Amino acid sequence: MEPQLLFVKGIEVEREGNPILRGVSMQVRPGEVCGVLGRNGAGKSSLAYAIMGLPQYAPKKGRVWFSGEDITDWTVTDRARAGITLAWQHPARYEGISVRDYLRLSNPAAEETNLEEALKMVQMEPLYLDRLVDKGLSGGERKRIELSSIYLMKPRLAILDEPDSGVDLLALGEVMGLFKILASGGSSVLIITHREDVAAACDRSYLMCAGKMILEGSAQAVKRYFLSQCEPCSDLEPEKTGEAILNHE
Amino acid sequence: MNSATEEYKTLVSIAERTGGEAGSFGSEEVIYVVVHGNRILASHALPGVLIEAVETEDGIDAKITVQSGVVVPKPVHLCFGHLAVTGRQVIKSRIFIEEKASADFQAHCIFPNAIEFLHAMEGEIHLGPQSKFSYREVHVHGPEGRIDVRPVSRVRIGDGATYRGDFTLVEGRVGNLAIDIDVEAYGKRSRVEVTSKVYGKSDDFCQVRDIVRLTGPESSALIKARVVLKDKSQGKFLGLVDGAAAGARGHVDCTEVVQGEAKAVASPVVQASHPEAEVTHEAAIGRIADDKIQGLMAKGLSAEDAIDFVVSGLLR
Repeated sequence: MEPQLLFVKGIEVEREGNPILRGVSMQVRPGEVCGVLGRNGAGKSSLAYAIMGLPQYAPKKGRVWFSGEDITDWTVTDRARAGITLAWQHPARYEGISVRDYLRLSNPAAEETNLEEALKMVQMEPLYLDRLVDKGLSGGERKRIELSSIYLMKPRLAILDEPDSGVDLLALGEVMGLFKILASGGSSVLIITHREDVAAACDRSYLMCAGKMILEGSAQAVKRYFLSQCEPCSDLEPEKTGEAILNHE
Repeated sequence: MNSATEEYKTLVSIAERTGGEAGSFGSEEVIYVVVHGNRILASHALPGVLIEAVETEDGIDAKITVQSGVVVPKPVHLCFGHLAVTGRQVIKSRIFIEEKASADFQAHCIFPNAIEFLHAMEGEIHLGPQSKFSYREVHVHGPEGRIDVRPVSRVRIGDGATYRGDFTLVEGRVGNLAIDIDVEAYGKRSRVEVTSKVYGKSDDFCQVRDIVRLTGPESSALIKARVVLKDKSQGKFLGLVDGAAAGARGHVDCTEVVQGEAKAVASPVVQASHPEAEVTHEAAIGRIADDKIQGLMAKGLSAEDAIDFVVSGLLR
């Protein structure tokens, strides 16, 4: 069996009494780019939050291991210090904080040239270092700054929640290339996405629906299944959606 | 004057650490005044800037004039303070920025040991036509005590002139603060920006009252307050812009962040006394959103450090 960096086993998460993750198991191997594909509302972001350790997504059942250690009860800070980080789908904005100071959080030892290089990785000019990480940035600019902060941090596991959302199509190719650069630098990457072409760029993928993992395999196989079998299910009850997908198996 | 006293050294070293450029005090190229209690320890002026200051029973009374057309290239540093635990200091000032003159003043109010102390600033500021003036006041207090701080300013702004006032009290205990700023922008196309940044702790009481009357045609104003309150501190903000002339534009923007058992009240008031004026406001009181804190924790910061980081940005 291949070694696992992240191992999630049977986690169940509820929000306001509703099950949103129902016995999810998965793993991420060292140095791989792994995708979690699914339609909106499938529970992908909830899985990302549960792995990152957000208290409101603490599992009722199941465990999470990272590098062989049971981290189920660890705080967000402890997980980050162990090497896990998360790039939110909609990163928070911080009034009065410059891009320079924000990026330095990810790597306090970074020199100015390191910060400029990190911005270049996401097609941004060094001039952005003096901008503020506030509402003056567009959604796409904020997103790219988040990705550059991940690049600077060089985590052991980077969880990227819908990394392409808000990023224009011209920049998407560059962002996809960033995943590979992160992996080649020793990071594992877990990409949460509803776009099959993003998932197809991964080494391996999972397909998620109604709070359950329903398929694991090569990125291309998961993409084929997603395109041929999965229908938009926003008009279905979550319980029924789950049953419908399970009937495919 | 005795510029070598321990008081001078202590006040200046703190002033330089909190916004003053190192070497400004004592420089031949910089205008400055250093006052400890009611004693003027040092002062220096340059051509085009007149400083007339006298010592009073409990402070000083000063008139500062920047003469017509004079552009002061470097910030003017005013250092007011006291190293005693108890006492009072009352600074009375009249500042005249004459036509087409320009200057940036930085006032450093330093009371590192004060426990029972009154610090009052009673200021009048007059801006002539086409002049530009910014007044930035930074306070440094100690970690103990209940210093009473009473900054009172009356500002009058002429045609095409620009005034920017910035009050910051984020280091040490606030004590009992009552900011009272009253601005009349009577000049055509005059501009005003008033900003207050306060960090209340323990049982501090922070009251900010900023009033701007836009009586000049096409004049404009922004009142901005950023107040962070923790422990059992309390805050009360009143920001009022009155659009009283044709084409006047004003905005009030207040954000108060509360933590612990702190309490906040915000009253942004907009008033259009003239039918062709436009004034708007926004105010928010709340705790720091979870996503801001957790976003920073995901980079390895503790929850406490994450809150401090967010607060540092708000109060910057």
